[in-house]
Amino acid sequence: MPALVFVSPTGTRQEIEAREGDSVMSAAVAAGVAGIVGECGGAMACATCHVIVNAEWWARTGGRNATEESMLEFAASEMQPHSRLSCQIRVEPALDGLVVHLPEAQL
Amino acid sequence: MTSAPLAPLDSDISIDQLMRDPYPIYRRLRAEAPVLRVASVGRTFLTKAADTRRVKDTPAIFSSDDPNTPMKRAFQSHTLMRKDGPDHMRERMAMMSAFMPKTLMTHWVPLYQQIAEDYIARLPRGETVDLFDTLCGPVAARILAHILGIPEASDAQMQQWSQALMDGAGNFGWRDGPFAVSDAANVEMDALFEQLWDRHRATPGPSAYAVMVNAADPIPKSQIFANIKIAIGGGINEPRDGLATIVFGLLTNPDQLEEVRRQEAWMQAFEEGVRWVAPIQASSRRVLEDVEIRGCLIPAGDTVMTIQASANHDEELFDRPELFNAFRNPNPHQSFGSGPHHCAGAHIARRTVGQIMLPLLFDRFPKMRLADPTVVRWHGFGFRGPVNLPVTLN
Repeated sequence: MPALVFVSPTGTRQEIEAREGDSVMSAAVAAGVAGIVGECGGAMACATCHVIVNAEWWARTGGRNATEESMLEFAASEMQPHSRLSCQIRVEPALDGLVVHLPEAQL
Repeated sequence: MTSAPLAPLDSDISIDQLMRDPYPIYRRLRAEAPVLRVASVGRTFLTKAADTRRVKDTPAIFSSDDPNTPMKRAFQSHTLMRKDGPDHMRERMAMMSAFMPKTLMTHWVPLYQQIAEDYIARLPRGETVDLFDTLCGPVAARILAHILGIPEASDAQMQQWSQALMDGAGNFGWRDGPFAVSDAANVEMDALFEQLWDRHRATPGPSAYAVMVNAADPIPKSQIFANIKIAIGGGINEPRDGLATIVFGLLTNPDQLEEVRRQEAWMQAFEEGVRWVAPIQASSRRVLEDVEIRGCLIPAGDTVMTIQASANHDEELFDRPELFNAFRNPNPHQSFGSGPHHCAGAHIARRTVGQIMLPLLFDRFPKMRLADPTVVRWHGFGFRGPVNLPVTLN
């Protein structure tokens, strides 16, 4: 199972294992990662699963779609160049070891 | 596709019972018949958290699209609440920025703070007043009027329009009376919206009306008006009932209130209040293809009712769910729903009720108490909350 690493705003790293095909958001929620809410379940309707993808991984996760961009633009924490909604990143073998940073707030 | 039997059919549960107190019924259904056709409501009840969540998260099978509801008649429009896919998304995104955290923080929080302070300051210290009428409803109305870009509407108008739309939308008996009231409300709302159109065009701002009117590719005027009406219909009773429920929960659990105050855990109290008695208790989805839930066939064309009130009390997720426990952790309630129709006002509700109203109210009246908890009456099946909240303010 691919590993995912979540880095909190204070620098704490939490590594979890994720099932292929799940979203990064649902893997994080299932593993109880504090700082990922994901209340809408992956419909891009709540913008509470905001992550900033580590620059080295950006090419592999790919960029934001139009709705994602619109939601992140008004999210609780300022959108960064590598901001994504983690519900829109699908876990796959190529993302084994993915590092994402958590924003200050989701709500 | 499936040879599963239909869900059992119940002919005993009445709408009156559900209105009075649905929770004992839901507790029994979760244990005995979590998928149940309820004759009096004409829908298949889903009372387990996993099932309500699955339905909301699978809009391709469980559709919101239903063009022939009393809602369409009440709103005089096919609104986004009853659309799916790109049509729904386009209308939702047209106003979504107005309800998002960045807009709230940048434009609205100081105003909300002021409104909350003003409305709380008007309450007479030392007297017993009904907070439901004097605070919960009016403050919800005032805040919403600003967010929507219609501050000219009075608190009384906002509340009356909202009730008229909801009564019309819930008029499944298709009686004339409720539609006459909603028609009159539509005339008044349309007149105000028309009057404000040019001003919002001339002065772009963060309100829902302004962002919709000034979008690069705006949705049709009919849908701009429909969106504002949906927000009026769906944006007053929920924060009103939520606030009243949380205040009741805290005042009847003084130990918790003290600890919430000490930790400033108002947001946790907020989440628990809306879990305990969800302001929106149930929603409907039309089933587009034969589907099986817990061994029961739900045939295409059937309408399921997700009972989030029951999901929030599901013993698989919550210990002693019938108790108000502000420090419940985790608290995976479904009061804001999930999926594409996840409550657009969730961020506003958390901020206005949880972060602003609760601490201000308990700070101003630290010794507030319920005049008599037994006189507080609860009511509602689709929507639920206290209908009165007499407190002595000190």
